[in-house]
Amino acid sequence: MSIEYIISMITNNWPMFLRGAGMTLLISIIGTIFGAVIGLLAGVIRTIPKPERKMKRILLKVVNLILSAYIEFFRGTPMIVQAMVIFYGSALAFGIDMDRTTAAIFIVSINTGAYMAEIVRGGVISIDKGQFEAAQAIGMNHVQTMWSVVLPQVIRNILPATGNQFIINIKDTSVLNVIGVTELYFQAKTVAGISFKYFEPFFIACILYFVMTFTVTLILRYIERRLDGPENYSMIGQPPPQLMLPRNNANID
Amino acid sequence: MGSVIEVQHLSKSFGNHEVLRDIDFSVNKGEVICIIGSSGSGKSTLLRCINLLEKPSGGQIIYRGENILDEKHDIHAYRKKLGMVFQQFNLFNNHNALNNCMVGQVKVLKRSKEDAEKIALKYLKVVGMDHYVNAKPKQLSGGQKQRVAIARALSMEPDVMLFDEPTSALDPEMVGEVLKVMKELASTGLTMLIVTHEMEFAKEVADRVVFMDKGVIAEEGPPEQIFNNPREERTKTFLKRTLS
Repeated sequence: MSIEYIISMITNNWPMFLRGAGMTLLISIIGTIFGAVIGLLAGVIRTIPKPERKMKRILLKVVNLILSAYIEFFRGTPMIVQAMVIFYGSALAFGIDMDRTTAAIFIVSINTGAYMAEIVRGGVISIDKGQFEAAQAIGMNHVQTMWSVVLPQVIRNILPATGNQFIINIKDTSVLNVIGVTELYFQAKTVAGISFKYFEPFFIACILYFVMTFTVTLILRYIERRLDGPENYSMIGQPPPQLMLPRNNANID
Repeated sequence: MGSVIEVQHLSKSFGNHEVLRDIDFSVNKGEVICIIGSSGSGKSTLLRCINLLEKPSGGQIIYRGENILDEKHDIHAYRKKLGMVFQQFNLFNNHNALNNCMVGQVKVLKRSKEDAEKIALKYLKVVGMDHYVNAKPKQLSGGQKQRVAIARALSMEPDVMLFDEPTSALDPEMVGEVLKVMKELASTGLTMLIVTHEMEFAKEVADRVVFMDKGVIAEEGPPEQIFNNPREERTKTFLKRTLS
């Protein structure tokens, strides 16, 4: 093992590593986005207040039960096992020959969705009750309240947790090599198989994983700062002098 | 002067704790009513029952001849007719002052953005906050937040304005600016229902004062009666305690 050997391994195999990293990113980005959407939907449904009408109440209970089952099942079983069950199971049970990449995105999405549903629910619970009451008091229904008032605040608050999930996804797509998805780990293993060297290809993969996760961390930090908006605001015109007094408190977070 | 809201035999319990008992009470158009009473007497609960933030356990609430507790009645359509101002302001944290006053108009009343903005600015001006349209709630002081909250409720152009202890969470020096706005509103003929601990304010602006004690209306009447010649012993004791 030497630095030169690692460099020559990169120069000889870079298309494979790059394609692997690209596949890893593709699966984890799309999986995280779909998962976040599933999580938001599930989170919103699970926080609907108990309806007055009996029929609606029963319907909501059934939907909640299905959602709970989904969340508990996908949080409670390893993704590597889910991958095998879904990929081979769909072929066996329904005769569906899933494209490996599609299967990978599907598995990561529903897995992320299960985690995100709980993250969103936690985010909704953490919003002050007064925000809901104020929205209800001006006549908003649950969907309007969620869309215009609660979710924008929830999304800001759960961004760090979502970033966490994204980073976990980048790393955990490596288990999808069991269904033959050509992501980064799979490619590293292939290079190892060709060259009979193990340390070097996985060392390269290791660096690539870290570069991807760290870049994501930096991007999310930036987005968080953008969402928080400017610390200051501009006044329109001049306020009357007696109203200037309480402005001592302005601009303090 | 027809009554806008009529509360009949209203009761409310939290578990086995009865907070309101057999409340009969009506709000007439253009009237300013102040509800006073010690903490825990049920005044806030009564207000919150009126716009159904709390579900009454019994009785009826009649709004313009319709029983709004009827299962078929559209709660959202009723609530947009009532403006609510909270003790804790409850401005939407994700919106600036202007949007706080616009979002309900656009989403609930389906007004166009242009109309909504015009109306929002009009009411922000009424409360003296038109210079702060760009400010987020966290950048405003308590008094400023409460004035924006009043503008938000007014922007819906409601039939009745409900105020739930609007100055109780404010620093003493900011109470005045909010009360001043409320006095101006009272003089415009707006129907207002105010839960308050500000006795001087109640004496000055109220057409009628309702004194609540232990979940019932103990006495109601014009401010001269309640503050100068209270008929009930309970009212006398309460006023002695608060005014001294």
